[in-house]
Amino acid sequence: MIVPRGAHGARAASPVLLLLLGAITIAPVLLLSLRAVASAWHYPEILPTQGEADTVLLALRSPALWGALGRSLALAAATGVIGTAFGFVAGRALVGAPRGVRQVATAAAFLPVVAPPIALGVGIQVLAIRAGVGGSVTGVLLAHVVPAAGYLTLYFLGVLSAYDLSMEEGARTLGASGRQTFMRITVPALKARWLEALTLGALVSWGQLALTLLVGGGAVETLPVALLSFVRAGDDRLAAAAAIVLSLPPALAFGVIQRGARQTGASA
Amino acid sequence: MGLQNLSLAVAPGERVALLGPSGVGKTSLLRAIAGLEWTLAGRVLVNGRDVTGLKPERRGIVYLHQAPSMFPHLSVLDNVGFPLEVRGATRAQARERAAPLLERVQLASLASRPSTALSGGQRHRVALARALAANPAVLLLDEPFNALDPALRTDVRDAVLDLLSTEGGPGVLVVTHDVDEAAALGHRIVVLMEGRVVQDGAPAEVLARPASLVVAEFLGIPNLVPGECDGRGTFTCALGSYPAGLPRGPAVLVARADALRASGADCHTRGVPATVVDMLHRVGGLHVRLRTGGVELIAVPDPDATFSTGDTVRLSVAVNRVHIAPLHSELAAGV
Repeated sequence: MIVPRGAHGARAASPVLLLLLGAITIAPVLLLSLRAVASAWHYPEILPTQGEADTVLLALRSPALWGALGRSLALAAATGVIGTAFGFVAGRALVGAPRGVRQVATAAAFLPVVAPPIALGVGIQVLAIRAGVGGSVTGVLLAHVVPAAGYLTLYFLGVLSAYDLSMEEGARTLGASGRQTFMRITVPALKARWLEALTLGALVSWGQLALTLLVGGGAVETLPVALLSFVRAGDDRLAAAAAIVLSLPPALAFGVIQRGARQTGASA
Repeated sequence: MGLQNLSLAVAPGERVALLGPSGVGKTSLLRAIAGLEWTLAGRVLVNGRDVTGLKPERRGIVYLHQAPSMFPHLSVLDNVGFPLEVRGATRAQARERAAPLLERVQLASLASRPSTALSGGQRHRVALARALAANPAVLLLDEPFNALDPALRTDVRDAVLDLLSTEGGPGVLVVTHDVDEAAALGHRIVVLMEGRVVQDGAPAEVLARPASLVVAEFLGIPNLVPGECDGRGTFTCALGSYPAGLPRGPAVLVARADALRASGADCHTRGVPATVVDMLHRVGGLHVRLRTGGVELIAVPDPDATFSTGDTVRLSVAVNRVHIAPLHSELAAGV
């Protein structure tokens, strides 16, 4: 039997690494959960000495939190949809573009991804104010779309580079119009990819704080902004409860992506 | 695309094989005809209708790629029914009309299978059935058997011929760089070189009388014997003198292996003496490589004769099966 070099070592190290990875991932969530229900947790106690679920329930009954949650969800959904549409169109154009154009455009798509959000936010803020959408949900949405579009252009560039365009050409000569080809061939053929792209776009928006604060000017309260105000107010328990709520959608999204990958035969 | 002054006509039901070396623009030509690539000039007419400015789906032309793609989310039957559905048929109607086509390619038993489960040969058959479901006026096949192994290639080629031989079928333009494939598939062979048509004729005609030395070399004709035309109707080379209606100047005698026969030196046949270089065992039979007058030739050995390297033999030429071609022009003259 031929065994790749280092395979035994890798196999032996896997459980330890997995355990470590699991601990690193789960520990903050556990601590947050404990903090959310802990009414008394003083140094040097390892665990809270008193606990009550009232704060969590209070937080869940807070209209401000629900409002922020609703705003965040709406922004994430809109960012996902707009970013996916933009990313697909841009990625599609770039796949067929000459090499030089593709390199320049790819670098441009990277910019909002690699630029620090605070720097990006300052630039977008100026544009948003000039466009008259500063301090509004529309302005924040546009600000969220910028990095999402960058991510998704790069994502679709990768996906479409491996996509068999001859399928669409074949469909066209078989009598399908451009719209029919898109709806009957492209959409179903990239089914799992759409889901991944929408999720990725939504997640880019979901965690945005700097862009929201800079462009929204504090007038647009999303969940991360609400969370920040809880932290600023020193309400650690409420902040912890909000943080848990903030963490749930990414976890769900991870599950969705895993499922999509399994359906298409790729392991995530 | 470097194609120039190119004019091609394919009659309904006719199969034309477009033959040419790689990179000559065969695929570009097909894609331009199908409307998948822009052309700077030229027109595409289908049944007299100018379709040059029309979108691919409105041309009545189906283009089949080298490795036909199945629509992976559709079953085999729904793949065949696809052209019917996009023309307004319901899924049930499309399936009903697609089923006989799938039967014709002998894949009815796979109708409900996912199209991703098909083998290479099966994919070709389904793609062909799907193309015919579109009822095209013209069918474009781009190197259709290139990706198949030799055994499967013959099998699929026979299926294609069977399917396309029915009356009222589409005009077919098939691109290939395989001479045997072109001869087997085409009613006509069109040889494309350096962006233009250099020969257009029936397979037997093109193979027996290539229009020039370059065409003969491309067709893989093994015996190209240089010589000289005297301008008075005679061509002279290492194999002797032959009548040829060419102007004075260099020319070449073109002969397939089966036009030259090698017999024992003691045999009473007339012929040129030649020395055996080696024996060649090929799928088509035994051939012998000879040298005479500084030229190497491939000939068919006499069935009764056995040769060894270095033997002297007599080489006879079937005069009615050789052809004298000019070196550079497309003009050609029979012997």
